[in-house]
Order: sequence, then C-alpha cells, then structure tokens
Amino acid sequence: MRIALFSDIHANLPALEACFNSMEEQKPDAIYCLGDLVGYNIWPNEVINEIRKRGIPTIAGNYDQGIGLMSDECGCAYKTEPEKDMGKISISFTNSLVKPDERKYLRTLPAHIKVEFQLNNDKLNLLLVHGSPRKINEYLFEDRDEKSLLRIMEQADADIICFGHTHKPYHRILPTEQIENTHYRHAINTGSVGKPKDNNPKGCYVMLTINQDSSITNKDAVQVEFIRFDYDIEKAAKAVEDSPLPNEYADMLRKGY
Amino acid sequence: MQFPSDYKYSKEHIWIKIEGQTGTIGITEFAQSELGEIVYVDLPSVGKQFKKDEIFGSVEAVKTTSDLFMPVSGEVIETNVALKDDATLVNSASFTDGWMIKIILSDSKEIDTLLNAGSYEKIVS
Repeated sequence: MRIALFSDIHANLPALEACFNSMEEQKPDAIYCLGDLVGYNIWPNEVINEIRKRGIPTIAGNYDQGIGLMSDECGCAYKTEPEKDMGKISISFTNSLVKPDERKYLRTLPAHIKVEFQLNNDKLNLLLVHGSPRKINEYLFEDRDEKSLLRIMEQADADIICFGHTHKPYHRILPTEQIENTHYRHAINTGSVGKPKDNNPKGCYVMLTINQDSSITNKDAVQVEFIRFDYDIEKAAKAVEDSPLPNEYADMLRKGY
Repeated sequence: MQFPSDYKYSKEHIWIKIEGQTGTIGITEFAQSELGEIVYVDLPSVGKQFKKDEIFGSVEAVKTTSDLFMPVSGEVIETNVALKDDATLVNSASFTDGWMIKIILSDSKEIDTLLNAGSYEKIVS
C-alpha cells in the first residue's frame, strides 16, 4: 500500500491546497498528517478545517499543542534573541486568530499513531510522531548520531519512524547486525508542506510504499519518495507581509530557509 | 550564573569535584544553558576506564547533541541513574543533582591541568 505523510503546514493554505491537489493525482491508499498545522501565517482555521473535513488522521505538533492550550510558548527552542522576538509575535497572532472549535480540535489531537503490519510472519511497526517518540519538540536532524537514532527507535519499538518538525526531509536506513540476519530500520523526515527549510521553497510530502514482501530483514522493505510540489508562494508570502507577522517569515517562504 | 569555587573545570565545560581519589563529574551551568532542554544523557557503564579528553558520553538536548569529554583520566565507579528518569536535572541542578559520573582518578597530577572557577568564568563570559 501507498501511504502519504505530510507535516508542518504552518497555516499556509495555498501550500496545503497544492499538496492535496498533488495527492489527488498520486492516489495514496492512506494519508496521515504529522502535525504543526498552525503558526507563521494567516490561515490556521482554514488549514485545520481542510484537514478535518477530509477525516485525515492527524497527530499534534508542538505548535498545535501551544495554541491548543492558549499558551505563549510553542516549544520551538529558538536560539537567538531575534528568533525569539519573531516567535512571540507569531504565537500571539496565531492565538488571536484561532477560533474556539478549532482550538478544541488542536487540544485533543493524539501524540503518536502506531501502525502495525503483519505481512510475513513478522511485525513491521510504523510509528508516526511529530518531533521524536520521547519529545514532541525534539529536532531529529539528518546528522543525528546513528547510535542515538537507533536507541530512540528501539525504545519506541519502531521499525519505521516518520516525523517532521525540522522542516528538512531525509530518509536514513539504519542496520543492526543480529545473529542470523540484519535488522533494517528506517528514519524518515517528512519535510514541510508550508514552511520548507532545506533551501527549496517548494512544498514537500512523503509517499511511503509498503510491499507484500516488506520485512525488517529486507533493506528495501519500503520505498520512500519525497514529492515536491509548486504552490503560490507569492500569495503566502504577501499574506505574511500584509499581516502583523514579521516580514522575514515571507522571505523564508520565498527562499526556503 | 554559578561557578562554584571548590570545583575544577575543563575548557569543554565539564566540572569535577574532587574528594580524595574520587571525582564527581558533570556539565557546567553555562553548558546546560547553551544546550537548552536536555532530553537524554548517554552515560558509560560502571568499570569503564577513560583517558583525559576521551569521550565518555553524550548529552541529547531538544535542538542539539554534544559529546562529553573526560576532564582527567579515571575509572567510572558510579553513574547518576536519576538522569534516566529525568534528564532535565542537568538543566535545573547542573552542579548538584545533575551530576553524571563518579570516577577514581588514575593520575592526580592531571588536576593541575584544569581551570579554577575564576579562569573558567573568564572563558565563558
């Protein structure tokens, strides 16, 4: 089966609409959303409702959690003072936009979704989280030490883990030598639909293919395709500039950082 | 920011409190503040021996990770098991409850290569 996974829309409605148009062409068998629907742009309610009306299983991102709780803290772990100042404006503005019913939806989103396949007399566990299994706002960047990633996956009993949060897509295959064979785990970052940070301003989502012979001992057990799609970046950037949000967020959308 | 005067420090932001031949080791308040919220501390097994400047573990924070370097040579005699349940002790009490390992020093002379509180404070301020 083919599973579409997307995350980090961040209130960017033009990007989400283009993402759904692309998915309609791709015709996945299942769709999951890995969170961070809101923040940094002007359409948090619209984004929530586009996802809700499709009944897409969705987990909470750190920004969703912050807005769900009407907090002034998004868990973004900003490093610099300018980043912190911009972040304060974004969460305050988002809190002012989100309506009660949409806030309630964010507050009740689950933290994780586990999908267990039983294909070849063994289990293949797919775990969906926003940041990491142990922390909603942990950044698992591509250069994370293999030992650390494996420990995180082993503790969560995950053979395939999909997550977002960093806005930088990647797929890493993590082998573990066992007595009779090698156990292959997959760590997949889904990138970002509405706020990419990998210097490619196009939106991004993942198409994960599970085959009938997929197994933990088969290195090519799953196929991972990163689908990049065009969207009206200018519309999203102009919306930022015409709002109380800092203009730098518009520049980030135009350049993908 | 604290710099306890009875501790010794390395340039890699490790403190060591020496009592006889035993040293208790952790990271400084400055180090934890730079790392941000700590999620996990990877520590060695008891009995392991390390030379000065060798990596003895790592700290995994929300946004970054960092290796831990031995300030002096020695054998690990105890690790702080409380960090398994709550790694944020390193954030909230880096010089006390957030300690990481205890060692038996293998060469006391190496203590002379470390910084005192005043010298370390100058490096980070």
